[in-house]
Amino acid sequence: MVKRLDDLPEVEANHLRRVECPTYDDTPLLGGKPLAERRVAIISTAGLHRRGDRPFRPGDGSYRVIQAETPARELVMSHISVNFDRTGFQQDSNVVFPIDRLRELAADGAVGSMASVHYSFMGAFPPDAAKPHAQHLAGLLKADKVDAALLVPV
Amino acid sequence: MGALGHFLEREGIATTGISLVREHTEKVRPPRALWVTFELGRPLGRPDDASFQRRVVKAALDLLAHTDGPLIADYPEHVTEEADFTGWACPISLAPTQVDSLGGEIDRLATWHDRAVAARGRTTVGVSGLDMPSAGALVDGALAGNLPPAQSLKEAIDDLKAYYLEAASAFPDAGTDRMRKEWFWSETRLGEVLLALQPKLAASDDPQHKILGNLTLIPAVERHRLAKR
Repeated sequence: MVKRLDDLPEVEANHLRRVECPTYDDTPLLGGKPLAERRVAIISTAGLHRRGDRPFRPGDGSYRVIQAETPARELVMSHISVNFDRTGFQQDSNVVFPIDRLRELAADGAVGSMASVHYSFMGAFPPDAAKPHAQHLAGLLKADKVDAALLVPV
Repeated sequence: MGALGHFLEREGIATTGISLVREHTEKVRPPRALWVTFELGRPLGRPDDASFQRRVVKAALDLLAHTDGPLIADYPEHVTEEADFTGWACPISLAPTQVDSLGGEIDRLATWHDRAVAARGRTTVGVSGLDMPSAGALVDGALAGNLPPAQSLKEAIDDLKAYYLEAASAFPDAGTDRMRKEWFWSETRLGEVLLALQPKLAASDDPQHKILGNLTLIPAVERHRLAKR
């Protein structure tokens, strides 16, 4: 069980301590509708894409498009990092990309609706490389009437 | 991950997310984060446990109601590690001494990979576009000194690793995920080849080869094996 970095094996903790994190002076927080009225998209940073799409490369801050109806058997992962478990994803894609869970929550009314398109970045990106892509992405989400995003790391 | 929360929230999309490393989230201060204690690579906690995953997703989405932040909420459920069967040994003899080539090992695993695909209905192999014998030949060639472009090599290796670990999941007495990863690094010819390839990549003049050799070939927790060689 991962707790805090101090609880991890030293070599793994040191690797994670070396990850550079961007800092921000302030954090915006938007209000909005109740969850039962929101339209939600999943944005993963697991380096997921459809088999045949461009694999991710080091320094790649762009995203790949995953249509909501994409079957799990079409999803592959080309994250450059080797420092996380992939056997969970091999067993069940929802442990990384919980689209079936979001679909269920929308079906039972807990969530207003599910976006028609979802996205994946590859988390080892320098934030500056991802910023223009993320800003463009915001426009695509609004065009799909999405008003909330679930960010899922790996 | 947290940077995306800042970018999107500023552009008018409310965000919430899962945090796997609390220390990172505390620095980046995204709008809302549900901190979980799960293994890296498993942000929803437990594969094939829909109700567990649904609770995590719901808890993360419920944070959207908060406009007081940045907010980090601690998720109360944890995943206990799978039982460790002391003395477990891979029942299929695949030790490097048992096969005379990487190609032979890949071929020997094919039946088990077929069974894994049948059981799971999918495979995550297929980033490189190569079939497994061709991916193995690329890795063999690299070890012999014919280094292909780093990206091609990385994609072939990632596919092979997925192929091996998926195949091992279908062994009659498959053990735990942790045991199968141990098997990969300590008992397979491919694991041995990757460890042997590391210094060659690190010594290459090509900066992309160096990145592959030094950072994205051998997991941090397995690098101790390099020192023992």
